[in-house]
Parts: sequence; structure tokens; C-alpha cells
Amino acid sequence: MNLLVCLKQILDPEVPIRDFRIDAEKLEAEQGSANLVTNIFCENALETALQLRDRCDGEITALCFGPEPAEEVLRKALALKVDHAYLVENPGISQYGSSGAAMVLAAAIEKLPEFDLIVLGREAGDWGEGQTAGLLAERLGMPSVSFVDQIEPIEGGVRLRRQTDFGSEQLTAQLPIVASITNSDTNLPRIPKTRDIMLAHRKPLTTWSLEEIGLDEQSVRAAASATEVISLNAPEKTAACEFVAGDSSDERINDFAERVFKIIESL
Amino acid sequence: MPNVISCLLPGVDFDRAVEGLLGEADRVAKQLGLRHVAVTCSSSDVIQQYAASHSDRVVSVQSHDDLDYQPESCLAMLDAACAALEPRVVLLGQDTYSQELAPRLGYRLGGSSIGDAQQIDADGDRIRVHRSVYGGKATAVVQANVEPVVIWLRARAFSPEPERPNAAPVETEHFDLDGSGNANFQATQIVQRQHESAAGVRLEDAQAIVSGGRGLGGPEPFDELRKLAAVIGAELGASRAACDSGWVAPGLQVGQTGKKVAPELYLAVGISGASQHLMGIADAKVVAAINTDAEAPIFRHCQFGLVDDYRNVIGPLTERLVDLKSTSNE
Amino acid sequence: MYLLLIPTVAVFGYGIFRRLRQWRIGRPVSRFDRPVQRMIRVLRLGLLQTTIWRDPIAGIWHAMLFWGFVTLTVATTIVLIHHDFNIRIMQGRFYLYFQSLFVDILGVVAMIGITIAGIRRWCTRPIRLVYSDEATWILILLLVILASGYLLEGWRIAATDDPWAAWSPVGNGVAVASLAVLDRESLRVAHVITWWGHMALVFGLIAWAPYTKLLHIVTAPLNILTSNLDAPAGSLEPIDFETAETFGVSSIEQFTWKGLLDLDSCTECGQCTAMCPANAIGKQLSPRDIILSLQQHLSAASRQTEKVNGDQPDGSFSVIGSSSSLAPEALWQCTTCAACVHACPVAIEQYPKIVDMRRYLAMEQADLPDTLQDALTSMEQRGHPFRGTQLSRMDWADKLGIPHIKDVDNAEVLLWVGCGGALVERNLRSTRALAKLLQRAGVRFGILGREESCTGDPARRIGNEFLFDTLARQNIEQLHSLGIKTVVTPCPHCFNTFANEYPEFGAQWETLHHTTYLAKLIGENRLQLDLQSARQITMHDPCYLGRHNGITEEPRDLLRHTIDSDLLEMKLNGPESFCCGGGGGMSFIDEPSDQRVNVERAQQAVATGADTVAVGCPFCATMLEDGIGSLAHDSPVEVKDIAELLWEAIDDQPTTSETNT
Repeated sequence: MNLLVCLKQILDPEVPIRDFRIDAEKLEAEQGSANLVTNIFCENALETALQLRDRCDGEITALCFGPEPAEEVLRKALALKVDHAYLVENPGISQYGSSGAAMVLAAAIEKLPEFDLIVLGREAGDWGEGQTAGLLAERLGMPSVSFVDQIEPIEGGVRLRRQTDFGSEQLTAQLPIVASITNSDTNLPRIPKTRDIMLAHRKPLTTWSLEEIGLDEQSVRAAASATEVISLNAPEKTAACEFVAGDSSDERINDFAERVFKIIESL
Repeated sequence: MPNVISCLLPGVDFDRAVEGLLGEADRVAKQLGLRHVAVTCSSSDVIQQYAASHSDRVVSVQSHDDLDYQPESCLAMLDAACAALEPRVVLLGQDTYSQELAPRLGYRLGGSSIGDAQQIDADGDRIRVHRSVYGGKATAVVQANVEPVVIWLRARAFSPEPERPNAAPVETEHFDLDGSGNANFQATQIVQRQHESAAGVRLEDAQAIVSGGRGLGGPEPFDELRKLAAVIGAELGASRAACDSGWVAPGLQVGQTGKKVAPELYLAVGISGASQHLMGIADAKVVAAINTDAEAPIFRHCQFGLVDDYRNVIGPLTERLVDLKSTSNE
Repeated sequence: MYLLLIPTVAVFGYGIFRRLRQWRIGRPVSRFDRPVQRMIRVLRLGLLQTTIWRDPIAGIWHAMLFWGFVTLTVATTIVLIHHDFNIRIMQGRFYLYFQSLFVDILGVVAMIGITIAGIRRWCTRPIRLVYSDEATWILILLLVILASGYLLEGWRIAATDDPWAAWSPVGNGVAVASLAVLDRESLRVAHVITWWGHMALVFGLIAWAPYTKLLHIVTAPLNILTSNLDAPAGSLEPIDFETAETFGVSSIEQFTWKGLLDLDSCTECGQCTAMCPANAIGKQLSPRDIILSLQQHLSAASRQTEKVNGDQPDGSFSVIGSSSSLAPEALWQCTTCAACVHACPVAIEQYPKIVDMRRYLAMEQADLPDTLQDALTSMEQRGHPFRGTQLSRMDWADKLGIPHIKDVDNAEVLLWVGCGGALVERNLRSTRALAKLLQRAGVRFGILGREESCTGDPARRIGNEFLFDTLARQNIEQLHSLGIKTVVTPCPHCFNTFANEYPEFGAQWETLHHTTYLAKLIGENRLQLDLQSARQITMHDPCYLGRHNGITEEPRDLLRHTIDSDLLEMKLNGPESFCCGGGGGMSFIDEPSDQRVNVERAQQAVATGADTVAVGCPFCATMLEDGIGSLAHDSPVEVKDIAELLWEAIDDQPTTSETNT
């Protein structure tokens, strides 16, 4: 089985809220002293692919669309022993705009040998829209399933388990297929061995420009700007807790209950 | 004339999300001066009736199969139904299926898609969506430059609109999914659905957590917390002190050396907020606390709090939440 | 008689040779530099046996036995020289005072020593000992040898009617008693027979010794001679990642030859396990059993080597998990506090072996407890081990106006805050206190702020040397590029890595723990303390300050400035301090609630009656505060960093002194 996992590099989601700043020009978060990391759901996707490869023969290709530092994400994937790694270098197109990303990934995939299964993280920890898998599937003309947390090979395809609002579903699927992967206790990312981390830096990694996959910056920008961030604000979070007020205990409890309820209602 | 479309997918029960979705579609349509068409793929009569009394027109999509959600065929039906309706805005709910199909539908309709909307501005030239980004650390306004735009909403967060005096006409469209020639229809098949009780949710995945600490003084008060949690659909968690004391199972421990959780709501009861506990709840969106000590560190890390003995609070709070729930469901 | 000596020497020699060959399967390490220092160490630890005296009973009996046998060996050698080489040295006063009286008495001393050891072994039975038949037989054999020696002497005196008999009181006693029963001729015969018996036993013992724990008579001095001069509390060896075949140790030959010599030096005395904090609170970890278990692996490996007749065993000696003492769970209980190394009378390095095996688990198998992996991932991605902290590195410095080091002209010191001091809420006030003290003293200092990273201490001790190596090189490059000459840090872990471990990676700055630097400021009169509080203070020595670096008095001197009473000492203090439970990455592990090192230490602290536990380490501070919290809700006992206590002793603290949030 020939597997492709798409990986995204994002700003460390654990950057403390007090260190979180917004670049008002670019309309994205400032990196500051924070690190760039592999998106966690992408790590789950990679783990799912690795488990699948453990069970049936095949190769895993890792593909990333991102700026130069995103190579690190692929190096980590190589340390976990993916077989091939491709970086399509982002010349500075906004990280928002899943349609741009989907366009690039699809073009890169067309250049590569055919894949049976393409996995992506369900959403990224920065913009978190969860659109890329679906858009990629459409561009490739493949079926797709979201929120998958387990994949196993069966005769003529795969069986997928995915999480739903009410529990879980089992699906059977013919190949090829695109799956977006969510986290569960069955796909906790494994840790690379030190030797593999060291070797990963010597493994071949192909970097493509947009031109090399038959695209140009302008058309990707155009696709990406189908939706556009026009403002971005980090609300000044006051460290102080708001103590519910009220003359009587009942009033305070009522106020408290309503606040709790408002959040619960929105879930 | 273009339309604002709301889509109700199969397998979705009637709940707050349906109300919020139809309500918002109605408002967006009003702002744009367009008609609101509800596209229902649902076999639920309640949903059909509700849609009819909250839209200008209902298109009920039926296939020859019973209306069982299957990703590829459902997408094809929605695509066909929406394309015929000259859509400008297509709204979907926040259920698994809607999230799954929204971007694909947007692509098929030749438009764009936006996910996880918390607010929609439809009063300008362009549709704008407010959404929470960077794990809740920021809010973005996103503009759809290409239309139609397909948006899935955090539907429960949107309020319903009042019922209309006259029910909208319901048209039924039949789709033949068997011999349609699209090979992809059969490419994926949901073969089994497993309903899990809420108890099966892992703390790490829980949307809401009610957590108790040393301040509870013993195992019994945790029963009350369990009741409270059940009312608001939350999971039960605990501080290390409470787990150590054997009041609850060790698996419930939240903190640096326990579970790291990321709920929308973390309600800490009788938890003072030791550093190691706070490290486990760093990703919680809203932290609320009940504690007798106004100086407790937990209050420096929560959005709202109540300074009181939990004994005076939990019972009345639970009752009040039951009331709030029943009024909202009416 | 000399014919008998040949097989004895042969068997003894083979025993030693076998061991030597056994050690040679280990990796090379250089341990023969600075011979004078090494000899001094052998004299101190080997001859005076200063470490054994920690347990006075063990100290006494061992010294009695040791000096008794040393004396007898010398005396026997003198007899040999006198008779067989015909060099007349047994004459006059020397003969009377030494060869007769002193030897006679020391024999008794040795017998008393054996008796004490026997009583311990059969009556009081301390749990730290290993109760083997071998140990029993050794004691019996030694006793028989001594007793037969007295019979020999007595019968010689009786047979020869020695005029100087009175100078050998015990021998004379035997002679008088024997003559009462037997005649001189029979005694002469008995003397000859006993002489041969005695010699047979002595030779037998010598031949047998290398195959028993008596081997330590040879290995202990050798082990002390080749011990770690730079870090008496043990140190961790860097890995050359370009050339190393395996990272860490999973099979016995992956230790260094010194590591293997360690194993054969063990006397099974159990001091290490007795002092191990994890063992003390009932955990599985036992450094002694680890050493003994590894010793068995070594023997098995060397037998295997003999069979295959080559230098490389076939790798079937995976040690991790081979016994309960070597189970991964046990290895993940070590706080690297070095109490074991400190306690060992023969300079065995126990915890570095644990770290060696952790290295294998962490780097070769990538198999380690989740929360430790979280800490490692966080160090790698965020430069600190506290995953989930809601603090940023600059929160503690709020409104203090502390500049970045590069903006400080003629900076005296870089204040290296450390992750524990910046990212754990409880410690912000300690860090603030320290910074305010430095400001008060007019020290030109700066910080790295958000650019500060982790020294890698937890990574190294968890066993991810690769991550440590990476962090160390990054930090060294950064500090060198800033031209840093002196670093002051409130974290003993940072201090230890900077001062003792970074130099191996090329670091060239001087590092001081904040207590040392504050003592210096006070000594130079740059900082005056005005107030004495009524606090009742007990001082907890952080392992990486006291035991690993021998700094125990400076912190106490500082504390004495702030109180009018004496310090209340815990029984285990100074270099003997009991770990807080937070070292070696263990503050990132959830210990079972009934087996918490910090709770035990908190108990020891509270038992002194103190109302304040003074610490000089952010990890100790959080561990002990947690520990005291679990002892009693709302305990009045406070945990304070020494810097906090000093700041309290400043008279005119600015009234604006904000509340610490």
C-alpha cells in the first residue's frame, strides 16, 4: 500500500498566552521566541500511517507545503522512518486559505506515483478550520472520510473507524481515499529513536518550488484568497478572575449557573 | 434570485444546533434581502416541520434508499440540490457529517468554504465570518471572496428565530443514487454505527470537565459533582490530592503528572490550584472555580469564580442548571 | 611449605586474572591520571576506610578485622624474612613490643571484630546486608585461622619454654592451659600438625578469596585508585554520537572497564541501598541489588566469552529487565541524588549505571514513561521541561526593570534564572527576591529573558543524552557569543551542569550558585542584612548543591544572618541530605501516593519543629511544599528559598514591594 501523509508546521500552540502577539501587517501570530512544531493532528495522521505500514507492506511519503523551516517537520517524519519526504516551498503565501494549500498538495501529488491512501490531520492548531482534507479530495477526485482514528487493511481496501457526535462509525472503503485523522488513544504519536533522528538529517529530502510542480505563485495566491483573513485580534485577557457578584448566595449561584450554561449551550 | 440555504443532514437529531442553524440562516437571508431555503436530507418529521416553520421554502431531498448518511452520495445530493437553488450562502451545522462535507460542497459549487463560524456578518458586500483561532488565543474575521460560500457553524451558539405564522411549502426531490454512474458513491460505506455513552469519553477529549480537589474533604461530595457533571454533560476530573486520598480513581487525575485536558469549560471545585495542576489545564478555554479562599491560586487562572463553600453551592447550582436546560429545550 | 604455595598462588592468580579479563570486555576510559591524588584517595578511603564509619558498628568491626589481619600479615612476613631469608630482624625491643605483644593483642582484636560481625549477621540482622552462606563461611574460616594461630603460638611457647612468653599474653595463656593437660612432647607434635593445618587454611583462604566477596581486598583499593576524581559523587559520561555503537547500556560489555571493576568491588555492605531515598520509602529501586545483579551478568558474560573464545560476547546479556532490580520501573525511580555513590565505602558509582541504562531505554528504545517524554518534548520544542505552564520566562521580572544582559555595560554577572525559577508559579517570588537582592547590592547584572533555554539537566538524567548534548552546545554558543564570564543561578541543577558538565563541551565561564554569590556580596559588604527574624529554620540541602558539589556551609552561614536562633538540623543533612524526590527528572513522574520521596523528606523537616524549611533549589521548593501540603492541610510550615529569607532581612524594603502574582 502506498501511503501519503501531509504534514503542516505551525506555531507552537502551547505558547503562553502572555507571549502571544499578533503581527498586524501579516495578520498572523508573531513567532517571537516560540518554536515551530508539527501540528499535533498531523502527528496522529503520521502515526496512523506508520501503524498501517507496520501491518502491510508499503511505503510512506511525507509531503509538506510550508516555508523553509518546515523542513524540520519532514526531518522528524524521516526520523520516524517515512520512506520519502517532499517539501513544497511556500514563497510567503498566507498560511490561511486551505484552498491554496489543497491546490499545492494536489499538484505535488500529481507529480508523485499514485497513492492508495492519503492522510491529513483533521485540523491545524493555528487556524483550525479542518478544510484541507476535503478540498484535497475534491481536487484529486477521490472520496474522503473525516475524523478517522484507526485504519486497517481489508480485502480490496481499508476499514476505517471514525469518531462521530454519538460515538463511532466503521466504514469500508475502496482505494484510493483521502482521510482526515483525529487523535485517539490508538494513535498517540510514537517517539523516534535517537539514532533515527541522527540519520534523518542525512536522508534525501526533495524540495520543490511551486514552478516545479507546475504552479505559479499567482495562481496559488488566487486560490488561497478565496477566503481571506481581514482582521485578527487577541483579546487582552485580564489575568484577574471575575467573581460573580450578587447580594445573596442565590443570586451569585444564579449568575454562576448562567455563565456555565452559556458555555455548555454553545458546545 | 440567489438564495441562502441551510442544510440539514441525515442522521442528525433535532436539537439546539438545528434551531441555531435555521435561525442564523433566516437572519443572514434577511440581511442580504434573500430567501432562505432549507435543504433537508432528514427523515425526521420534527426537523421537517421545524424547517418548514423557519424558512421560506423547504427542499426535502430523498433518495430511493432510506436516508442513511453515506459521505459520497449525500454530498452528491446536496451538491445537486444546492446547485439548482442558485446559492449565495450555504450554512451547515456542527455535526460530524456537516463538518465533513462543508469544504467539499463549497468546492463542488464552485465557491469557497469557511469552518467553525461563531458569528456571520452579512451586512456588507462580502460575507464575513468571525471565528476563534490559535487555540482560542485570537479571533479572526474571515471574508469570503468567492461565492457561494459554504459555512459550518458552531450552531448551538446561535440563537433560534421565532416560528413563522405560515409554514413554508415543502418540495420533495428524488435522487437516484444507484445507477448514477458516479463510481465514488460506493467507494466508502459506513457499515456500522456504534453509540457510545458519554461515560466513554476520555478526559483528554472531554468538552466540559467538572473537577474536585482536596477542598471537598472526602469521597462523598464527588457524588454530588457527578450529578452536576451529568446535568451539563461534563466528565469528572480531580486534583492529585483528591486522587491520592483515594476519593476517586487515579485515572481522573488532571495535572502535570496526570491527564492534560483541553475542554471548553473546566469547572474546578475545591481545588486551590497548585502549579502542577494548573499545567494540566493550560489548554482549557474557560476555567471557572468555586473555592472558599478568594486568594487561592486557581482564581488567578480562571475567567469567573465563586467564593463560597462548595456545600452551599453544588446542590442549588445543579438545580439551577437543570432549570436552565429545561427552559431552553422548550 | 613452599610447594603448597605454588598451587595457592596459581589458583589465586587465576582468580584475579579471570577478573581482569572480565573487566577488559568493558569500554575504555581514562582513569590513571593524577597518580598522587589517586594514592592519597586510596590511603584515605582504602586504608582509613572513612566511609564505612557512617555506620559505627560496621566501622568498628571492619577496622578491627582489617588492622588485625594487616598486623598479622606483617608479622608473618617478618617471620618469613627472619627464618627463611636469614635476615635477623626479630630482635630486642622490636621483637618484644611489636612481634610479640602487639601482634598478640591485635589477633584478639580481630577475633572480637569477627564476633561483632557475626552477631550482626546472626542476631541483629540489619536489612541492608546480603545474607549468603559464603559470608558465613568466610567469617568462620577467619575465626578458625586466628584461633589456630593462637594454638600454634601457645604450643610453641610451651614446647620451647620461651623466656619471653609473658610478652605474648594470649599465647602464654594457651601455653599454660595446654601444659596443664598435655606434656611438652605431645605439644610439639600437636604444634607441627596444627602448623600444617593452619598453613593449609591460610593458603586455602588466599586461593579462595578472588572467588568470593573477599575479592574486595584487591578490588576495593584498585577501584578507589581508579575512581572519579573530578566528581566524587559520580558523574555522567558524554557520548560521542558520531562513533558510539550503542547509546547507553543494555548489555554488560557496554559499561566501561571501570564500571565492571565497580561490580567486582562490591562488598555487599548495602550502604547504598540504605541511603537510597527511593528505597527508603519502599520503592523497588535498590542500588546494591542493581550492582549485584549486574555482577552476575558480568560473570555470565565472561563465562560465555571463555566458551566462544573471543572478545565479543554474543549480545545475549541484555541486562535491563533481567531481574526485578533491573526492571525499567526500578530504573525510573532514581532521582540521581548520588546518596548511593556517597555512601559506598569502595567508590562504586551506582546511579551513573542507572542513567546508562536509562539512556538505552530513552534513546535506543524510545521507551519511557509518558510524562517524562512530555518533559523531554517540551525541552526540545520550548526549551523548558514544564509542559503546560501558563507562565512565560519574563513573568517573574514584571516591573523589576531587569535588562537583557547585552544591554548591561560592564556586566558583572549573568543571572541565569532556570526553568524552575521562571515557569513554576511557586518560585516566582524566590526569583524576584534574588533579583531584588542583586539590585540592592548594586550588582551590574542582566538576564537572557525569553532567550534563556534549559541547560538540559533533566534530559541528561532522564537518559536523553542526545537532547542534552544539543542543548548544551546551543547554550554554550549563546553564552560565549555574549561574552559571559560569570553566571549566577538559583538552580543547583543548572549550576551543576554549567560548572561540572559544560566544561567537557567547551564552556569557559565561571558559575556560582546564588547562595555562594550572595555570601560573597555580604562578605564584601555590598549587601547588608539588618533584621533577624524569629523564624525557626531547618535547612534542606539540595543534592546537586550539597552532595554533588560539597556546598553546605555557605547557605547555612547566610541563614544564620537572618535569625537569632540556631538552625534546626535534620538528621540527614549536608552531604548526607535526603533527596526531595525531584532530581533525575522525577519531578515529572507521578509517584504512588504512599511512596513519595518528597513526603518523607517533608516529614523529616517538620519533625525538627521548624516553622520554615529553607531551600536553595526551585525543584526542592516545589517538591517540599507539595510534600508538606500532603502531610497536613493548612500546615503552618513554610518552604522558603534562602533568597526570600535574605530579602526579608532587609530593613527598608521598598514599600512598593508589589505582591507577587
